[in-house]
Amino acid sequence: MNFTFQGKRISGVLTVVPANEKQFIEEMKNFDFPEARSLKLKEVMGYDKRRMVAGDVCVSDLAVFGMQNLFERKLLAPEDIDALLLTTQTPDYLMPPTSNIIQGRLGLKRDMLCLDINQACAGFVLGLIQAFMLLEQPSVRKVVLINADVLSRKASPRDRNIYPLIGDAAAITIVERDEDDSPIHASVKMDGSQHAALIIPAGGMRLPSSAETAKLENVGDRNLRSKDHLFMDGSAIFNFVQTEVPPLIEELLAAAGKSADSIDYFLCHQPNRFMLQKLADKMKIPHRKMPHNVVESFGNTSGSTIPMALALNFNGDLLKHQRQVCLAGFGAGLSWAAMLLRLGNLSFCEMIDYP
Amino acid sequence: MNEFLKQLAETLEISEIKETDELKAFPEWDSLAVLSVIAMLDANYRVNLRAADFNAVKSVAELFNLVQSKKRA
Repeated sequence: MNFTFQGKRISGVLTVVPANEKQFIEEMKNFDFPEARSLKLKEVMGYDKRRMVAGDVCVSDLAVFGMQNLFERKLLAPEDIDALLLTTQTPDYLMPPTSNIIQGRLGLKRDMLCLDINQACAGFVLGLIQAFMLLEQPSVRKVVLINADVLSRKASPRDRNIYPLIGDAAAITIVERDEDDSPIHASVKMDGSQHAALIIPAGGMRLPSSAETAKLENVGDRNLRSKDHLFMDGSAIFNFVQTEVPPLIEELLAAAGKSADSIDYFLCHQPNRFMLQKLADKMKIPHRKMPHNVVESFGNTSGSTIPMALALNFNGDLLKHQRQVCLAGFGAGLSWAAMLLRLGNLSFCEMIDYP
Repeated sequence: MNEFLKQLAETLEISEIKETDELKAFPEWDSLAVLSVIAMLDANYRVNLRAADFNAVKSVAELFNLVQSKKRA
């Protein structure tokens, strides 16, 4: 389904990554695979370094740290925040909402809206859509969108399918009204019939965590995983992305009356280098317009990868210029979403370490 | 068929592949190899296979036939 908005903009992006860095070359010793094949995996997928929380660090810890950084540097005033949206798959608790916890820890005003959105890799685009809808209300002038996950805590260290690609991060995006009323186009698609392709089977009401669900099982291909762990059907997801994302973007460009050539950057979710290169080739987009370098230094950080790509590649450019960009997120749900907007003249676009 | 053998060998980084070779007998045959072959078939033949499709395929010739039948479908 299509959405259009006017008079809204992203004014700043801050990403927070744990200082704790892991090297694939060290971790591959945990997998029961020939070293040559693991090195091949490293080369093709772009696995190298990634950031993981140490110990029991939660989503609200990363988010609060980033927000306080913005307050201290006067890049954001606490009293200006009318809504706080948190897109996460790894909340602090099943109940209450982690967005309320963040609000409480920051001592924000009570006259505001907090909302958790249970979406994953499409969460940046879906969160922006929600933020833009809220900004249609006269009482909402500034929305903080936080995309944060600590999925490394749900990945089995003995599962080569998932462990080497997962990273943790939080991204804080400030969304507000704008005098520039050039249209923003977005498109969203969902397919819940494929919900089992990316899933943490245990820990919810359907299958509560127990001693049984914590048991490591041999799940084939020499990988060990429990039902408490994150599962990804890698080839099904690959097929899904290659089949569904190109038409999503092509139809969105058509709806907006724009050509692919007129787009300065295609900022996609960053699952791994392989998938992004194949996606760029399929859509005949030059690789320099579609960055794929988040995974090699930070891992796949779920809904925060698009802000990560911005902070990593365009921090200088987007402070001074405005660019026509296409955003695209895709993942658990299954959910996939794309957006065309003008992005730039940001007041900040950077990355900081969570100690 | 020759072109197909060449492309498959390149994808799997094996010097030579015969149509009677069994896929699972290649030491390089793992989930990464499956993904690479899926991507190659999509790029060169516009055929979208799933990992599960490979379960029924034993030899290289059978894979070739599967791709041909999907191309016509």
